[in-house]
Amino acid sequence: MDKTLDKTKKTTGSLSGFAILAILIVVSWAIFKILTPHNFGSAANMVQYFEASLIYSTGALGFYFVMVMGLFDFSIGANVILSAIVGNVLASRFELGYVGLVVGSIVCGGLVGLINGLFYVKLRIPSMIVTTGLALIYESLASFIAGGVEQTLPSELRGFGKAPGNIILAAIAFFIAFFILNYTKIGTYTYAIGSDERIAENMGINVDRYKVLAFVISGSFIGAMGILSISYGSSMVAQTGMASMSRNFIPTMGCFFGVAFRKYGTPLPAILIGQYVINIIFYGFIALGAPTAIQNVITGLALLIIVMFATEVKKGEVVK
Amino acid sequence: MTQEISNNIPENKKIRLQIKNLYKSFGITRAVQDVSFDLYAGEVHALIGENGSGKSTLVSMLTGIHEKDSGTFILDGEEINPTNQVEANKMGASIIVQELGTLSGLSVAENIFLGHEDRFVNMGVKNTGKMNKEASDLLKKYGFTHINVTDPIDRYNFENRKLVEIVKATYFGPKVVVIDETTTALSQNGRDELFKHMDRIRDEGDTVIFISHDLQEVIDHSDRISVLRDGVYITTVNSEDTDEDELKKLMVGRELSGQYYREDYGEEISDEVVLDVKNVSVPGELNDVSFQLHKGEILGFGGLSGSGMHEIGKAIFGASYDRTGTVVLADGTEINDIPTAIDKSIAYTSKDRDTESIVLNQSIVENICMPSLDETRGKGVLTTTKMIEFASPLAEMIQVKMASIRQFVSELSGGNKQRVVLARWIGKDSDILVLDSPTRGIDVKVKQDIYTLMDDMRKNGKAVILISEELMELIGMCDRILIMKDGEINGEVQRDVDLSENQLITMMI
Repeated sequence: MDKTLDKTKKTTGSLSGFAILAILIVVSWAIFKILTPHNFGSAANMVQYFEASLIYSTGALGFYFVMVMGLFDFSIGANVILSAIVGNVLASRFELGYVGLVVGSIVCGGLVGLINGLFYVKLRIPSMIVTTGLALIYESLASFIAGGVEQTLPSELRGFGKAPGNIILAAIAFFIAFFILNYTKIGTYTYAIGSDERIAENMGINVDRYKVLAFVISGSFIGAMGILSISYGSSMVAQTGMASMSRNFIPTMGCFFGVAFRKYGTPLPAILIGQYVINIIFYGFIALGAPTAIQNVITGLALLIIVMFATEVKKGEVVK
Repeated sequence: MTQEISNNIPENKKIRLQIKNLYKSFGITRAVQDVSFDLYAGEVHALIGENGSGKSTLVSMLTGIHEKDSGTFILDGEEINPTNQVEANKMGASIIVQELGTLSGLSVAENIFLGHEDRFVNMGVKNTGKMNKEASDLLKKYGFTHINVTDPIDRYNFENRKLVEIVKATYFGPKVVVIDETTTALSQNGRDELFKHMDRIRDEGDTVIFISHDLQEVIDHSDRISVLRDGVYITTVNSEDTDEDELKKLMVGRELSGQYYREDYGEEISDEVVLDVKNVSVPGELNDVSFQLHKGEILGFGGLSGSGMHEIGKAIFGASYDRTGTVVLADGTEINDIPTAIDKSIAYTSKDRDTESIVLNQSIVENICMPSLDETRGKGVLTTTKMIEFASPLAEMIQVKMASIRQFVSELSGGNKQRVVLARWIGKDSDILVLDSPTRGIDVKVKQDIYTLMDDMRKNGKAVILISEELMELIGMCDRILIMKDGEINGEVQRDVDLSENQLITMMI
């Protein structure tokens, strides 16, 4: 056997992945630093952007499990709102403090994920449609629980809105995701199902069970994102009429980074850094004073360009 | 010539697997009907039959991929009813499937132990280091040391992924190992590796069920051969007492009429050049390749795996990326992309039929009509009726075995899928056909039909490029053969009654 010819060209390793991610941070910082040197990009600013990005990173880390399986979740925003409100109600109204906030939000998020997963596998409806329909229900439920009133987190319970609380929670989320992905069967089966569901089934993998599990993991992480969201913003307003959809965008983009950098073996760090880059761009535009519409257009384009260069799709490779 | 083997078991043999009254239907198609026969411990037992004869369905039921309708598998005296491959493994049966059986996104080690991770899991935590170590030891034991267990499997080509499948299917010492039409995907070296492990399994007292359409390979590497036809068991013969002609007769149910290959020799090839390929290079694949194709000619391309011969087809069809050089038709048109190639009457069938030639989740009618929608539509709108009117005569002419013209292609056997691909291009009435491994994984009857079709096309002034790893096919069908080596043309031979495989092999190595 021709051992040199038979092995196809190696994709670059994790070092290259980290190098590209580092370059993305430097380039996005440098562009805005040049354009608006005085009110952007100081060391303190960069820390602030990073802390803000942790909110979305935490949700994206969980959503990665769903996305790798080739599924989608349009109820991320609704789940964030519902979980944050449930956590806040347990923490303040039922006076359970941090325990209520953390357990309530994460368990609520996990339950939302469980419902998403069960509806998806039982009804055999595409995940995109199931989660869109269910998002309407979660929004209404959140509005009902909140009683139409803005839910404010008591000031003594806002520890996760700033360092070190937010960093600790995000770090725990990162290590749990990393552990599940690399040191349990769930990680192996997540990739197996995403690669070829039929073969995975023939290998004795209970595909439906692991899909539901992926939604539960995703939901729990989104619940944690709810904790960070309400702690950072100090309050949460229940939204209806699919208004929660706007919260889907940023964690989804972070997840795209993860998928794009999977070939470097660095999907989870890519999610963290990807969200950071998104935030650098976002705050860069704010510093420039660009109108929101322009911000959105340029942010969208910038992200597409970044992912396009980062993914380096081979010629002829099918992209879906 | 051969005596059918009696039911008496030889003294030195023990029955390993009994297949009893097995039935399986897919809708109205009866894939396996009342099949019963025994397999011995310590034998390589070949299973042959035409495409759609039920071979793959039979072994799929044994290995838990499909559920049987009725009947029993008795392995070492115990009935087994696996519902998936892992269960089958635990019961002592495993399979190396025809197509790719490894999963992208997982490492080599994860693929080897997929479904068997529990042995490395303690309190829910997977011991990746231990798993990698065991996988590494296995690869060392099998002699596949060039494969790194921690690499993502995606980094390896089809052949190496098949080697990983050999390890995956055999490392745990199954009593019965099924090798389903695997050899066509392997180079000679890969085949030799596979045969080595088949012999080892037999020598260790276990059983190999070997499925292949290469009858000489079957005779050379098996002890007994069972024949299926239309889902029905026909007979079992001793490999040493039979020959290819007899096996063909058993498979088809009658003598194959006429010659297998072309009979003519010494015919003049037209001077009319229909395709002029000049200085074509594709980075890493082809280097400065030039040749001309003439009207009414069958031009063959042969070579070892990785010689670049498969890229030739893509380059002509405008499907190669970063191609330099020119591919020019007689009217001066340059072919640089697929739409132009199709528009200018070039047809191409890929070696990788399932992913590059056929849309599996579409019907036969849609697959046949795909490049001919404008012709099918006529002056009106495109309707299903028009498509069926267009596709039905073509499917009928080329004898696609189907329940209905609207049947999904994914439900067809390999040979019938190939018939659909050919019907598509016959419908397009292409003048130049580029056929890459058109008989790969295909039984003798379909092969003969394809050879007849190629010969008819040649006689009608069409030009054919035949790319093949089967040297006898090239020798038997081509007017001229170009041998590729390291991306370049390394030799050219003309059609000759005395041309031998050795002459071609000398140029290939």
